[in-house]
Amino acid sequence: MTSYLIRRVGQMALTLFLIITLTFFLVQAHPGDYASFYVLNPDLPPDVKDRMREAFGLDKPVWQQYFIHLKNTFTGNFGVSFGHFPRPVMDVLAERLPRTIVLFLTATAISFYIGFFLGKAIAWRRGGLFEYAATISGATLFTAFTPAFALMMIWVFAFKLGWFPVGKFLDPLVWRGTDVTANYVFGSMLLSAAAFFAFALLVMLLLKRFGRRVPSLAALPVLLGGVAVMALAWAFSGIGELALDMLKHLVLPVATLTLISFAGTMLLTRNSMLETIREDYVMAARAKGLPEKQVRDRHAARNAMLPVVTSLVYSLIFAIDGSVIIESVFSWPGTGLTLLQAVRSEDLPLVMGAMLFIGLLSLLAHVIVDVLYVYLDPRIRYQ
Amino acid sequence: MRPTGWLAFFGLMLALSLLLGCTREVVKEVIVTPVAGPTATSQTEATAAPVETSTVTSESETENERPAATTAGSSGAETGKVYRIGIAEDLTTTNHWAYVGPDGTVWNGYVLGGSKPVLYGYSAQRFDWIPSLAADFPSPLKEETVDGQIFWTTELELVEGVKWSDGSEVTAEDFVFTAHTATELQLTGDWPTIVDPEYFDHAEANGPYSLKVYFKQKPGLARWQFGLAFMPIFSKSYWQPVVAEAKQAGDTTEQQKALYAHVPDGEPSAGGFIFDQWERGAFAEKTMNPDYSFSGTEVTQYANGAYTASTAGVRDFSAYGEPVGETVLEYTEGPYSESTIYSIYGSQDAAVLALKKGDIDFMLNPLGLSKGLQDQLTGEDGLTTIENASNGLRYLGFNFRKEPMDSTAFRQAVATLIDKEFLVDTVLQGVAIPIYTMVPEGNGAWYNPDVPLFGKGMTRQERIAKAVELLKEAGFTWETEPRVSEDGNFVEQQGEGLKMPNGEPVPAMEVMAPSPGYDPLRSTFAIWIERWLTEVGIPLRANLTGFNVIVDKVFNQQDFDMWILGWGLSAFPDYLENFFHSRHSGLEGHNPGGYNNPEFDRLADELLAETDLEAARQQVFKMQAFLAEDLPYVVLFDTPIVETYRSERIEFPYTETWGGLQSSAGLPGLVNFR
Repeated sequence: MTSYLIRRVGQMALTLFLIITLTFFLVQAHPGDYASFYVLNPDLPPDVKDRMREAFGLDKPVWQQYFIHLKNTFTGNFGVSFGHFPRPVMDVLAERLPRTIVLFLTATAISFYIGFFLGKAIAWRRGGLFEYAATISGATLFTAFTPAFALMMIWVFAFKLGWFPVGKFLDPLVWRGTDVTANYVFGSMLLSAAAFFAFALLVMLLLKRFGRRVPSLAALPVLLGGVAVMALAWAFSGIGELALDMLKHLVLPVATLTLISFAGTMLLTRNSMLETIREDYVMAARAKGLPEKQVRDRHAARNAMLPVVTSLVYSLIFAIDGSVIIESVFSWPGTGLTLLQAVRSEDLPLVMGAMLFIGLLSLLAHVIVDVLYVYLDPRIRYQ
Repeated sequence: MRPTGWLAFFGLMLALSLLLGCTREVVKEVIVTPVAGPTATSQTEATAAPVETSTVTSESETENERPAATTAGSSGAETGKVYRIGIAEDLTTTNHWAYVGPDGTVWNGYVLGGSKPVLYGYSAQRFDWIPSLAADFPSPLKEETVDGQIFWTTELELVEGVKWSDGSEVTAEDFVFTAHTATELQLTGDWPTIVDPEYFDHAEANGPYSLKVYFKQKPGLARWQFGLAFMPIFSKSYWQPVVAEAKQAGDTTEQQKALYAHVPDGEPSAGGFIFDQWERGAFAEKTMNPDYSFSGTEVTQYANGAYTASTAGVRDFSAYGEPVGETVLEYTEGPYSESTIYSIYGSQDAAVLALKKGDIDFMLNPLGLSKGLQDQLTGEDGLTTIENASNGLRYLGFNFRKEPMDSTAFRQAVATLIDKEFLVDTVLQGVAIPIYTMVPEGNGAWYNPDVPLFGKGMTRQERIAKAVELLKEAGFTWETEPRVSEDGNFVEQQGEGLKMPNGEPVPAMEVMAPSPGYDPLRSTFAIWIERWLTEVGIPLRANLTGFNVIVDKVFNQQDFDMWILGWGLSAFPDYLENFFHSRHSGLEGHNPGGYNNPEFDRLADELLAETDLEAARQQVFKMQAFLAEDLPYVVLFDTPIVETYRSERIEFPYTETWGGLQSSAGLPGLVNFR
């Protein structure tokens, strides 16, 4: 395993080098440059245009720019954003990241849970009305044209019914004059979610340890108690109102993302389950007289999870990348919207930085999935 | 890990979360301090990025009472007298040096504009050149020799008692500090167009309110009155330590970076609003400056051209004639809103829905509303849609270095064949306005109405006949001449075998235009121009391509036949010199077509050196006449700026203005509440 990991890291470094090179030359192949904005200002004297190019590092030959870029990247310096001059690219990305993580992590977790639950259920009761209804509605939503669907959601639930805000992640009238930043609240929310997740895991572990003596329903009041404590802490934190405002803004984009994407997990789970339930060990479990629920959840679903978990890891990693469309329509200024604006304004370092970031994450995702496979399926061994 | 280990870990996580949830990040208290300062309206801000121009007409005493300044954070979710504006992109800086420099986006301009005093600015609607921080017009430029060096100098007095929001006075030293910083640090972006180092030498403060400016050579209107005089003035007391530190940063580029990187905290304002808060990606807020010196200024514009501005105890100013007779505009300067909030939306669609829902009162967009969004808002209760001419144009340009584009008759024939009215009215359903001149009619002070307009008002038959006549007179010949049907509706016989006066066949040509995805209007024009020219035998192909490709081919490589692009224009038309003087015809110059007319060049040079407004106007008129005849550009069309505001809640003293209300950043200093 160790030698395999070393080999994989080596492959990752090579792929990363190729990504950096490709990204750089793809961006360079694009006609024009950021300095065109200034070149097109007729009032600027030529020497000033030259100084602008020098400031952006565009005065050097392409090969020289490439090696500077390579060196900078490997030393963790993604350069300075042209559009946010002179802010470092990493600074801009780090600012947008928490917003994207909150939105997409929430949506991914919910859609995965719903998708897995439904997929399991429809595979177990194959051929029923429920399967047709879930498959058709899921597939319809999965193939919906995202911008139109997102706009329709806003039009119905925000504009017509007035249940939710029209996009954005906060209401300026609530936030004006406050002395905390949105990123601080996002960070606190993420930490709370992580703590609650850890707490829930702890409860499950304890239940598993004392499972024979404690009924599983006992977890519910404990978890609800955890939620209550956390809500109380937020209420007295002084930023509870701000967090609530953000949650209000979170509902519609999360609902939209969930509706669009849950079908992917659902259909994947269903197909995987259909293969698994034909396996001998499922028949053996039934033959032993185990209850249906136990056969489905512990014997079939657990073994069917392998491709689903792979998909979840990729989804979680790509959640960080955000979505240009969803973030644009819902005015959610995360990494996706930043990438779009950087492309539009030819902010080359920011474009390259964002693309490299995505590339790095996807490489990481592949390694995580490979390692995870070993733990999920003991039959897998890497040489 | 054993269960006890897990327990400890999870317990720690939960405790940490609760601790974080309960503590609060204290940044700083926001305090609205008393200020006094004039409304800033600089040329940079009026062209590259708009600003508020001035004020509001009072309807009743009660309505115009200015709200008391509120401590930020006290208003909660109440709307109150908050002017809510939607913008489609986030700010990129709050540093005004950077905004005038490399971060010169229109969105930065909307929010940051109006906080810095300027010596002179434009009047509302008419764009008269009027004093702002200056007490009156400057002394005429005179030649002076100092220590054996010849300078052109001018002197002026500042309005006394105008204050920054930190309580210090706005003085001549602030102007000197700003202009010298721009030249010493060789600031980039729009700075060199404002403080042109080829003209500006230095400035002197002869007392707190007396200013003397020294130029290396005689500056024309563009360099002084519409250039340096529009420079935003920075507070010396706030910025001097920052600039001093920046100067320690290494070479000039590093010094600039250091200055641009400074994030202002508590920077004083001298405008109607003080920048208060910026939540990145969400909103920015400016709160009312309760002691704005020019608040309550009564401005009157008369039909005879006269202009008066009266601020009790500060200044009474009158210019451009006797202030008598019919008044065309009257208003009293605010601000009337306790705060202006700029909400950032990711798309125009989202902003339009917010406007319909009542979340915002107005949305700023340099291009106005698209046709689809206009339709969505039409007939909505409580909303009013306005339309104004925009300060720009789209044109067809020629490469004078190639035949037959170098022939005046050829260009005139092309201009004659282009039926702008047909395209705009029939094909484009009225979303554009046909225009013919390099100074659009909306720019009334500089527009010359007496120039030839090729093809205007002609039928299809007349156009073809006139184009054939022009080409024949110039010596062009056909193997088969084009012939139009008797009813004039179509070309019966397409022209073929067109030859130039030297007997050579007219070569195949290409017109580059932006693709339909980028701009459907210009691509539609390109396709129809191809069709009309081909009908008379001119072999032209429309190449619809990326904007950057066109810019690269035209400006950087000069490898093209014809191209279609557009320009945003300033009120003072010195751009005529930039676009058509032969000295700008080199690579990366702004006369990529290579138009070269010595008589025009002479007029353009005179315009740059001219200091008298009326003389400059006459020069601009003559330059327009040359351009209308020589046609280096065939001016095609422009799109009107269509905007919508929540009229059931807010009102403006005027809505008719060149470039729309967005050109004045939505008039935050003038908007009033119903």
